[in-house]
Amino acid sequence: MDNTVEKQENIRKGWDGISRFFRANSIWMLMYCTGCCAIELPQAMTSRYDMERLGMGPMATPRQADVLLITGYLSLKTLRRIIYAYEQMSTPKYLVAFGPCTLNGGIYYDSHAVINRLDQYLPIDVYIAGCMPKPEAVMNGFNDLIGMIKRKEANGWKKYEQNKDWYRKNQIQALGELRIKDEFHE
Amino acid sequence: MNKDIKNLVADIKSRFELVGEDYPKDDQAALDFNSRDIHSVLAYVKSQGFRQLSILSCVDWIKDNQFQLVYIVFNWETGIRLQVRTRIDRSNPKFTTVTSIYPGAKYYERDVHEFFGVEFEGNPDSYKQLFLENWDDMPPLRKDFDSKAYSDRKYPVREYAADFSKAGDKK
Repeated sequence: MDNTVEKQENIRKGWDGISRFFRANSIWMLMYCTGCCAIELPQAMTSRYDMERLGMGPMATPRQADVLLITGYLSLKTLRRIIYAYEQMSTPKYLVAFGPCTLNGGIYYDSHAVINRLDQYLPIDVYIAGCMPKPEAVMNGFNDLIGMIKRKEANGWKKYEQNKDWYRKNQIQALGELRIKDEFHE
Repeated sequence: MNKDIKNLVADIKSRFELVGEDYPKDDQAALDFNSRDIHSVLAYVKSQGFRQLSILSCVDWIKDNQFQLVYIVFNWETGIRLQVRTRIDRSNPKFTTVTSIYPGAKYYERDVHEFFGVEFEGNPDSYKQLFLENWDDMPPLRKDFDSKAYSDRKYPVREYAADFSKAGDKK
């Protein structure tokens, strides 16, 4: 009896390792460019730094994407839409934040329209430093993310599921209401 | 100041009461009017080729207790930019819409209403939200709005265990 349980556990671990290997080497990123750091992505994607060699590619819809890139400052209006996009993504999902604006507000620390700390509202796996981060830093950040996926450390989405009430409370405190109400959604 | 502007200003002076004038650049003129003249001035300059209302802007002169409305109109034939300016009372900011002259002003008036709280009578759309969603404070571009206090109240600030800049100063 113990033998079979152990066997099953080994098989599960084996499959887990294989799936993590494939996940880490075929990352589809959602192209939702929020701030000015997005200007560094074309260089990281095209021939000079060639993101494709890490197995990363752009994806148009949230439901098929693995990683969401927050490229720079987030205004309240964008945060509301980012939460929509993030919750639509299928697990496992990862979140990479660019620049100081996502860390502490950056140069927008006193703005009425821009949030200060993104990790209050969404779980972040990797921060990339620099204002804006150079393409080398962007590629380095993606390498870190791949390493974290292989080592089972990129658990932001699990944290989000477990602490959803806390995140929701913060989101509502900043946004007032999560639902999008503009004239295009009336 | 080029010839076209000279002619234009002389023409406008003969028709309306000019309160002030300023010429920021060669092809630009800024003319101040009483607020009751604005609609007739705008209608007149539109008939003189200023077909485009580039923007409606607003300036908060808090010490004078006044808002200044700036209508920037553009003439595609002569390339002249004309600022038609007026001042209105700040404590009860109200003005009449110019959507009957420039229909595109609908969105600019929404913008000014949202950021400065100026009400435009006759434009029911100007009360709708445009940029800010669920705004819960005074209009944010007024000079007495404290952006830092609002940000501190609404968005938590990160606290750092170690202050790295101080440690760097010691050596």
